[in-house]
Amino acid sequence: METISKERFAYVGENAKEREAITRPSMTFMQDATRRLVKNRVALICVVLLVLLILISLLAPVVSPFDYREQHYSHTNAPMGTVCDQPDCPGFGHKHIFGTDTLGRDIFTRCWMGGRVSLLIAFSTALIDFFLGVFYGGISGYFGGTTDIIMMRILEIINGIPYLMIIILLRMVMPGGVLSIIVAYSLVGWIPMARLVRGQVVALKQQEFIAAAEALGASPSRLIVKHLLPNTISVVIVRVTLSIPAAIFSEAWLSYMGLGVQLPLCSWGSLAQAGIENFRLYPSQLLIPAVCISLTMLAFNLFGDGLRDAFDPKLRR
Amino acid sequence: MSERILEIKDLRVSFDTYAGEVQAVRGVSLHVDKGEVLAIVGESGCGKSVTAQTVMKLNPMPPARIVSGEIRLGEHDIVAATDKEMQAIRGREVSMIFQDPMTCMNPTMQVGKQIVEAIKLHRKLSPEEAKAEAIRCLKQVNIPNPEERAKQYPHEFSGGMRQRAMIAMALSCDPKLLIADEPTTALDVTIQAQIMDLLAELKDQISTAIILITHDLGVVAGSADRVAVMYAGKVVETGSTQDIFYRNAHPYTQALLKSLPSPDATKREPLVSIPGTPPDLLSPPKGCGFAARCKHCMKICQEEYPPEFTLGEGHTASCWLLHPDCPGAAERGEKNDG
Amino acid sequence: MLRYVLKRIGYAVLTLFFLITIVFFMMRALPGDPFIGDKTPSPTTMANMRAKYGLDKPVTVQYLMYLGNVLRGDLGTSLTYERPVVDIVKSAFAVSADLGIRALIFAVIIGVLLGAVAAIKRGGPMDTFSMVVAMIGVSVPSFILGALLQYFLALKLNQAVGHQVLAVQGWGNFKQTVLPAFALGLGSLATVSRLMRTSMLDVLNQDYIKTARAKGLSRQKILWRHAVRNAIMPVVTIMGPTTAAVLTGTFVIESIFNIPGLGKYFSMSVKDLDFTMIGGTTIFYGALLIVCTLIVDLLYGFIDPRVKLEG
Repeated sequence: METISKERFAYVGENAKEREAITRPSMTFMQDATRRLVKNRVALICVVLLVLLILISLLAPVVSPFDYREQHYSHTNAPMGTVCDQPDCPGFGHKHIFGTDTLGRDIFTRCWMGGRVSLLIAFSTALIDFFLGVFYGGISGYFGGTTDIIMMRILEIINGIPYLMIIILLRMVMPGGVLSIIVAYSLVGWIPMARLVRGQVVALKQQEFIAAAEALGASPSRLIVKHLLPNTISVVIVRVTLSIPAAIFSEAWLSYMGLGVQLPLCSWGSLAQAGIENFRLYPSQLLIPAVCISLTMLAFNLFGDGLRDAFDPKLRR
Repeated sequence: MSERILEIKDLRVSFDTYAGEVQAVRGVSLHVDKGEVLAIVGESGCGKSVTAQTVMKLNPMPPARIVSGEIRLGEHDIVAATDKEMQAIRGREVSMIFQDPMTCMNPTMQVGKQIVEAIKLHRKLSPEEAKAEAIRCLKQVNIPNPEERAKQYPHEFSGGMRQRAMIAMALSCDPKLLIADEPTTALDVTIQAQIMDLLAELKDQISTAIILITHDLGVVAGSADRVAVMYAGKVVETGSTQDIFYRNAHPYTQALLKSLPSPDATKREPLVSIPGTPPDLLSPPKGCGFAARCKHCMKICQEEYPPEFTLGEGHTASCWLLHPDCPGAAERGEKNDG
Repeated sequence: MLRYVLKRIGYAVLTLFFLITIVFFMMRALPGDPFIGDKTPSPTTMANMRAKYGLDKPVTVQYLMYLGNVLRGDLGTSLTYERPVVDIVKSAFAVSADLGIRALIFAVIIGVLLGAVAAIKRGGPMDTFSMVVAMIGVSVPSFILGALLQYFLALKLNQAVGHQVLAVQGWGNFKQTVLPAFALGLGSLATVSRLMRTSMLDVLNQDYIKTARAKGLSRQKILWRHAVRNAIMPVVTIMGPTTAAVLTGTFVIESIFNIPGLGKYFSMSVKDLDFTMIGGTTIFYGALLIVCTLIVDLLYGFIDPRVKLEG
């Protein structure tokens, strides 16, 4: 064996710094989730798309030279890109970008007006679902015991009824209008959210870190704010994101049944319903709202998936 | 020398992750002879499970990858074996039981059926014979009322009972080698002893060699013939159980033993923990992996990995302290002998 | 076990009772008077009519009468068709059920297969394909899909090839069932396939799959005997809501494809404000769904040995 110089056997001893060395950077949960969301290109594209759709819905009806109610009897069912030929109309000389419908109304303006209505319905019902669901589910789950049993029995009974049929009944009783759709939908829409939140809270309460926090003397408010909410919020956010396309779908479905917003107001659903009637002759009248509905639902669904992946601690690497 | 069942030579296994290549096993050489129990001990993440699973090629590949080395199981070359060949080897030549008996049985299949499945695969038996054989296997591992138990589902078994059923399943085709990957870690202490007794009893009955993977030296003392101590993807010391417990030479082995509580209550020795954590195998250290946590660390330990020194028949260790040029090597040698 | 079954049935009965109550009070709250049509009848006729239908009695008595009628299977008389609602339901529901079952079978079988294959070949072309199908399924409402399919796959395709490949509308032969069943089922197919994919990926990571590999089972056997069977469990649990989605989907699909099913009657009665028909159909569909969910829940208990059917 070759000889090794004494020098190299110099005593070094334990190295406290190095033995605890962690070579991977540490991240907080939100940092990690954000990083993964940003890395998810599909989700980012969806966000951009949604922002664009919302902006256009807000701005286009304002900028457009046509009014969404304005009818041009001599210019009905015009193809896309026709120039308005009515001198008495404020939009004279401007293009009907998406053409006109059976009453000669500018589809471009109507489409984005419909976008406003559909998105308004979707966002407000999602928001109401969120508050009602978190409130009801949170109380039921947090207090447990008899409160929980009674509250959950009630939910289970309501949940057994097909919600679209209830909405139909509600819509028939209530006067037409955007507000009544929102109310009708919200009356049943919060139930899945409440069940989800309650399930989360009950599952969390059984976990040992909650018991540990309680044992350390954490007050109920601290327990809720610092432990229960942060651990529930990610699942709830995902659920809210996914409940928006569900609301858009329900609105479209109600419109198809003739229970949507009332004329002359329009929504994507009512535009699609009107489009179906003329579909064989003028396919673009259905395709335009159909693409809007589908793109929005797709974007929300993909974004929701991206959020879920980003929040999932199991996928955290 | 008795028949060699398993021979691993300079095995290197890496995992390709998003952060880079994790070198989980960095040149491990091991062997198991017929009818013997080899214990592989070490902290979590030291590569012991990866080594064992590589013998059966159970690691998902990718991300796992055999970088180099040789694994010979009987006459089979495992590294070169195709999927089809591996299917014939698994269960028949070598089988495995896992740490958590609660999750490693199919919850929607009767326990008996899960054993029959293995038997039918490797032995040419009629369905009735296979069924009878499964019941015999359950009886062999001391499960009462095996006929009725075979018809039950895993959730109707207790943890210890399930681990017995797993052992019955693993031994149903008389494999030459049984790999027990921390078989008692998830069980109660009393059940642990039962399982270890059962393994010892079965080993005598059917002459299956066993690789026992554990981090519990207490389990090792009672059941193993030989021990391999692993640290940071390498075997740092190997020898007979006697060698490891009484003539150990590697500071890591010594530290592990010191962290073991003594059953002798009159000895009031404090338990010594090993401060620090093992190195991250994403960027393994150049020198000895244990250097940063070692009381005897020298300059050379940080620079170069020590060669293997033979200390006796089948007893080797890798530590610079054992080098003849190391100052004070002579005294230490005496101390270890004494 | 028995307790669980009884408890489930108890819930179903309560839900049904709740549904009937809602329908009754909603119908009472509806604006307008059912006897005021084109011309207003004389006050005496009105009073006679009211007495005949029990409308002169207090609300509670009316409610109990209604409840009794429903339990006896009398859902009232349709105002537009002037036939008992039950008779219309009887004749029309057979068609809806036929369509619904076709759509459901299509959605579940193809959905499970697609989801399983996507999970097994994760990241492969089948995975991408299943993702695309799922995305179309969740983002295109069934009535839009129906209209598009009708236009492109029936009208245009038939024109292009010169003979009928798929029927545009109507009901009766197989060619007429393909498109509506597809349009109706695709949304559920998307849900099923995505759930199956997630569940399959989860199962494939389980220890018992490793055990099965350690036994020396072939890949095929592991997948079909151990993985798919366990992965399908969550799919079974959503069969109740899936059935509901398919059934409510028939409302719009039937009117697009002009299929004489219950859904078509229902959507027409919504447009005609035929209240007894709406109420009757709602109770019928509600009861049907409650029973379906009950069956699925009980079935699940039998399929999964882990579920202890306790109260």
